[in-house]
Amino acid sequence: MKLSAKWVVTILLTIFSIYLVFVLNEEGPLRILFNLLTFAGIYGLAAIGLNVHFGLTGLLNFGHASFMGVGAYVTLLLIPHAAGREGEITESGLPFLLALFIGIISASLFGLLLGLPAIRLRGDYLAIVTIAAAEIFRLLVRDLESITGGVYGIINFSDSLQQYRPIYFENFVSRYELNPSQVWVGLLSWISILFVLVILKRLTNSPWGRALRAVREDEDAVRALGKNAVWLKLQSFMLGAGIAGLAGVFLAFNYGSLQTTTFVPLLTFYVWAIMILGGVGSLSGPIFGSIIFWVIISETDKLAALIFENANGQQLAGVRFVLVGLLIMVLMIFRPSGLLGKKEELLLNVK
Amino acid sequence: MIDQLGNGLLLGIIISVASVALSLLYGVTRIVNFAHGEIIALGAIVTLFFSGPIDSRVLFLERFSPLGMSFVTSAIIGIIFCGVFGGLLELLLFRPLRKAEVGNIAVLVVTIGLSIFIRHLYLLFATGRVQNFPLDLERRQTYLFFEMTPRNFKVLIAGLIVMIVIGLFLTFTRMGKAMRAVRDSGELASVSGINSDSIILFTWISSSMLAGLAGIFQAIINDVRYNMGFLILLLIFAGTVLGGIGTSFGAMVGGLLIGIFVQVSVALPFMEGHTEAKNAVALAIMILILLFRPQGIFGQKERIS
Repeated sequence: MKLSAKWVVTILLTIFSIYLVFVLNEEGPLRILFNLLTFAGIYGLAAIGLNVHFGLTGLLNFGHASFMGVGAYVTLLLIPHAAGREGEITESGLPFLLALFIGIISASLFGLLLGLPAIRLRGDYLAIVTIAAAEIFRLLVRDLESITGGVYGIINFSDSLQQYRPIYFENFVSRYELNPSQVWVGLLSWISILFVLVILKRLTNSPWGRALRAVREDEDAVRALGKNAVWLKLQSFMLGAGIAGLAGVFLAFNYGSLQTTTFVPLLTFYVWAIMILGGVGSLSGPIFGSIIFWVIISETDKLAALIFENANGQQLAGVRFVLVGLLIMVLMIFRPSGLLGKKEELLLNVK
Repeated sequence: MIDQLGNGLLLGIIISVASVALSLLYGVTRIVNFAHGEIIALGAIVTLFFSGPIDSRVLFLERFSPLGMSFVTSAIIGIIFCGVFGGLLELLLFRPLRKAEVGNIAVLVVTIGLSIFIRHLYLLFATGRVQNFPLDLERRQTYLFFEMTPRNFKVLIAGLIVMIVIGLFLTFTRMGKAMRAVRDSGELASVSGINSDSIILFTWISSSMLAGLAGIFQAIINDVRYNMGFLILLLIFAGTVLGGIGTSFGAMVGGLLIGIFVQVSVALPFMEGHTEAKNAVALAIMILILLFRPQGIFGQKERIS
């Protein structure tokens, strides 16, 4: 890997933003840092999945939240949990890893389902279809209370993941007054990122990866060369959705409870902001984008406190999202390739 | 069922007006405007600001003396405000993007960013509280076989009149013809001496005014909230798609149909106890239409794949 100017700037920015956390927080900066790194890991993973769709294959997917949701719901419903208004307890369940595997596969299959419209539809229509399908998913999950717990959500599932937490890890983390279960989720999400990146690196350098990029650049040419462009698109949808499903599981474990309100379209837009910031089409871009993004997000409450005398939760959220919207707009207008993307690899226009 | 039909017509007329606006804008500028919902909310919020008594006002608005203007005046101000806002969006944001030849996918993402940005400015400055216009409560009455309040009935009639006016405008006036010409082919239109920049500006203004009107309708029937536009945006897309993207008359019918589908689906047997999922029905219809008849009911065949 050649250390180009882009990389230097990105790494410096990332270090600077982590440094900012220490400067701006006098009390317990480490705790805040690990909190936001956990979120950064989870959202970064989701953004890597989205990048397979948009960056690599040029599929305009605005239903990413639903892939995360499918992964999370399927996995949690298969392991011991409590759900619904009465907190109905399900004690038996599959082993965690098997449930996780089924969850990821389900997210992939949902990706296949959502990918079917992509066969026929041009980019902007695909955006509308995917966002609508994600909303249908969310409305159904909220409505099918007997299965999914509806608005009351799912709780008491954390042990399945936390049981693998080694004792020495707990001792080590507690020494710094951190929350062991959260750091554990964060650590696992970052390990997953490395794992996924290694696989993706191999895949994108393979003939298959080149064929995906070719679909983005010129679908007709791919067809003319005898490749099955439709199947390539569907494979891309499945791969990215599976990664998003894994991220969704981590998100649920980080919150400790699963709510339908987590999977609103805004979740998708968060992931989009991270992907654009990190660099569309760049494999490792979302990692850096995610860290910088979460530093910005987690430090906005100070900004909000400057604007409002006694900012309440709603105003904090408001300031955050104003920034997210602004970030998406400004990046898309002035630097659509983000930190690490390549401008010539962007799909910004469809006929 | 009949009750739901009345509700459906009301929701339909809101979606219809908003869909026509969205469809006009898409037809002329080829922009899929995700910020459309925010212009809808703007109409309602500005109207509330001018008509509301001080106690229903909010945050920074509390620092102003009560305006308490008459409702109709406030509504007109609200609509004009939306028009100005839409015009400014075109002049300050979208025209420069068009001149810089920014791709349509990039513009779509920009409208999404814009939507999040504006919506949360509303949350900050108009609060997340659900509010109502300062209008008296009315008793429901029977019109033909629908039951609704006289005010909602007036909304229905006003909406229908607006539709007819738009239809006449597009068909018979020079401006309407020019808009349709730019929609069909921007290049041919400019060759025949139509200034497409000013047509696009006019489209932004009129589309935003219509959106503002739809917002006021929605707020009369339901309430004012900061995300009211985003909540209804997908239904508006559904209406536009169902009628045929870029066709104004299609959008009118499509919007009405979607509104009726949504409300009537509540009364279907398998939907019993699942009223929350009613929007899912409309969205599913939209997806199916896009897959199997992408040109909608009234659209002409066009390449969208």
